[in-house]
Amino acid sequence: MSNPDFKQAALEHLDALYGFAMALTHDRTEAEDLVQETYLRAVRAFGQLMPDSNLKSWLFTILRNVWLNQLRHAHSGPQFIELDAEAEGDHPQWLDRVANDPHVELMRKVERAEVRAALEQLPRLYREVVVLRDIEGFSYRQIAGIVGCPAGTVMSRLGRAREKLRLLLGGWRTEAASR
Amino acid sequence: MSETEMTPCDHIRGQIAFYLDDELRGREQAAFEAHLQECQACRQAVADERRWLESVRQARPLYSPPPALRARVEQIVSETPSPHTAPPELRRRIQRFLWPAASTTPRLFRDRRLIALVACLALIAFGGMWYVMMDRVRVPRSPISEFALMAVDTHLRYLRGQLPLEIVSASPAQISGWFAGKVPFSLKLPNYQESSGQEKLYRLEGARLVGFKSDYAAYVAYQMRQRPITLVVTSNSVALPSGGEEIVSKGLKFHYDSIDGLKVITWSDRGLTYALVSDLEERGQQSCLVCHAGTKDREFIESLKPSR
Repeated sequence: MSNPDFKQAALEHLDALYGFAMALTHDRTEAEDLVQETYLRAVRAFGQLMPDSNLKSWLFTILRNVWLNQLRHAHSGPQFIELDAEAEGDHPQWLDRVANDPHVELMRKVERAEVRAALEQLPRLYREVVVLRDIEGFSYRQIAGIVGCPAGTVMSRLGRAREKLRLLLGGWRTEAASR
Repeated sequence: MSETEMTPCDHIRGQIAFYLDDELRGREQAAFEAHLQECQACRQAVADERRWLESVRQARPLYSPPPALRARVEQIVSETPSPHTAPPELRRRIQRFLWPAASTTPRLFRDRRLIALVACLALIAFGGMWYVMMDRVRVPRSPISEFALMAVDTHLRYLRGQLPLEIVSASPAQISGWFAGKVPFSLKLPNYQESSGQEKLYRLEGARLVGFKSDYAAYVAYQMRQRPITLVVTSNSVALPSGGEEIVSKGLKFHYDSIDGLKVITWSDRGLTYALVSDLEERGQQSCLVCHAGTKDREFIESLKPSR
């Protein structure tokens, strides 16, 4: 891929990268900085991209590494929520808010906002695999490369993440889906 | 069949997500689809799961970047200079092949200020230089330190392109400032100016953080005539130099070793521990020896001390 081709192709992934950055940071400013830094590094490191590499996967890997570095700077190490630390009986506060919200019916019409809100309730490690698989369509193997873990871990993590997401979205989605 | 034994349907249900994620292949996929042909309940389970996943996936894109970000990214992409496409290690080998005597040119010795930095950066290569220093003391080798190994590993990872620089700059002041607040010590890189017409003998490329023992160390990349030099600095509360060949000189104890063909020298001074890694050859010893006797060299070391 020539340099102009690379630049054009890289720009096509801007929306996806921003979405992933938002999923990681929950903060517009941080997400914008993250995406900007990702492109800066990508353009500089373009020469290291193997001809048969997946450009989108490579960009996501860079973005996640930049984000991890920033986390380390801030906390002397990534502050992941322990996946197994959440008690099974923990009831998501988000569900209470939805159930008690008088505008819940209105909210339910905005599915994107619902999914986004539910995703934001997931632990970060769960959230990123759901976004990478269900929003961005990466394969398990590609996700493993991006997040730096075995594919088997991606599979099990994704399974648990979807279960939690299912709980968070509640019954309405099943109903909506079957309409 | 025991209660704990899985039924064919249990097995299929466990594979539904993999099937819908297009992660089943060959016989597994064929067996899965064959079972669906025969089992209405599993077909329904697959259909339910597919609808649920599709309803989640229909939410894409979750977020849209603001127009200002798009404009900034387009500017980055269009204005950032094209990078070198050859791997750094290959470039280094080719350069060495084309200019085998590059690092021995007499011009190397003309500017004492530059030589001072060259000398400090090239300490790695100069196990022999310590023999001729005034108060040298040599003791037998001991095992290589973890810090030295980390520095060599960092050097090699950078050459392989696995450690992109977090700041790309030839400005020592800018890089020193970048480290402020990021590492638990103060690092001030020296700023040597070449005299008019003087060829620049080394180039500061940039820097990044590297993890070491649950903390961050400072990594600074230099090039001297296309040959990379790595400087890693950490607090001496995190690492102390040890191992290799000990050489005491000018009141400092240096530890020199050769690892995988790379020369590494570590030492501590004023609260910081340093490691220099390069593949510089023996000839560099002479230039180091010349300027190590001068004051500029000591000034360079002074400038790296932590703030108190």
